[in-house]
Amino acid sequence: MNSRLLAILMAPLLGATQTALQACVIALCSVLIISLHRLCMTPLRKMLAGTTGLLASTLLAASLVTCLELGLRAWALPMSLALGPYPALIAVQCLLFEYVRDDNQHWRSVALTLAAFTLLCIAMGLVRQGLADVANLRLASLLPGALILLGLLLALYNRVCQRRAPSRRQGTL
Amino acid sequence: MNTSSLRSAAVLLTLALLTLGSVVLWQHITAPRITAAEQQLKAQRWLSLLPAQRYDNQPLHHPLRLPAANLDHSRLLGGYLATLQGQRSAVVLHSQIQGYGGPLDLLIAIDANGRLMAIKVLQQHETPGLGGKLVEPGNTWLQGFAGISRQNTADTAWALKRDNGQFDQLAGATVTSRAVIQASHEALRYFDEHRQQLLSGGADE
Repeated sequence: MNSRLLAILMAPLLGATQTALQACVIALCSVLIISLHRLCMTPLRKMLAGTTGLLASTLLAASLVTCLELGLRAWALPMSLALGPYPALIAVQCLLFEYVRDDNQHWRSVALTLAAFTLLCIAMGLVRQGLADVANLRLASLLPGALILLGLLLALYNRVCQRRAPSRRQGTL
Repeated sequence: MNTSSLRSAAVLLTLALLTLGSVVLWQHITAPRITAAEQQLKAQRWLSLLPAQRYDNQPLHHPLRLPAANLDHSRLLGGYLATLQGQRSAVVLHSQIQGYGGPLDLLIAIDANGRLMAIKVLQQHETPGLGGKLVEPGNTWLQGFAGISRQNTADTAWALKRDNGQFDQLAGATVTSRAVIQASHEALRYFDEHRQQLLSGGADE
């Protein structure tokens, strides 16, 4: 399930990590909004099932993200412009998180995924900003460069942390 | 319809009202702050082309009335007056001209003597790596325009060297370079023709 969720989180991971600061902000916002959404949905889930649950989840995600966007515009307008549509896209992540929810161990797995996402985000931000500023590598600040870097980071993770994993696990997190 | 579906409909309706209400309330709270932040950002972007020691007013609060703002190739969308200790020191004109990939929005600062102070690109749709070089950090082509006026540069010289003018071009971006030169030339000419009006009492309060 984690790899599916990380795939969901790909868009901000690639698009909104041009600088370390941007990466931290988008990670923080994602974690905040997804946690809030889950927290609010926990009591609602018992009362609403099926389509009405989905509707409630959509409503909640949309309003949370609207509030976030307004807040960003009011107190961090340059950052909000730099992040572009990515804060709004957190709503989609909320919905997908809700959709792939696993009732047995949901809080633990969500926390793990969000922690992995935050770490990856900050790592991407640091590496991209470092490469662009220090090594003067402009590709690092563009989207294709971000994809290559993400691949390299995941490969590094696999090499370092999953040494004993069977070969069929290679390439997944 | 049974009671459970009625109940979920009621819950959903309450939720909708609650979320809508909180969003509207939050919007209401943040609206003045957003307007202020937008104005501040605009001032920062627009005034970055005027050296800070050249003005002490808030030029964006002093828009100019621009009669006949449709020039030969470009169009003036707005103008602002900068003053220093009550003296009119510069005019910032917002000019729009057709570039290679779309409209090119330029801010052109002209001092009281009709010399170009600086040119800044507000918005562009040029080809990345060619005309787009205009806005890349470290590009010094636009800085070459500082100090040029119609007094020290004849009207016929306002063209690229390949068009028998005196200006170098941005490598690989002839159309963009021509557009910038044309826009700045026309803005200077407009300034010269309307100098009295722009520098004295032309302010539109």
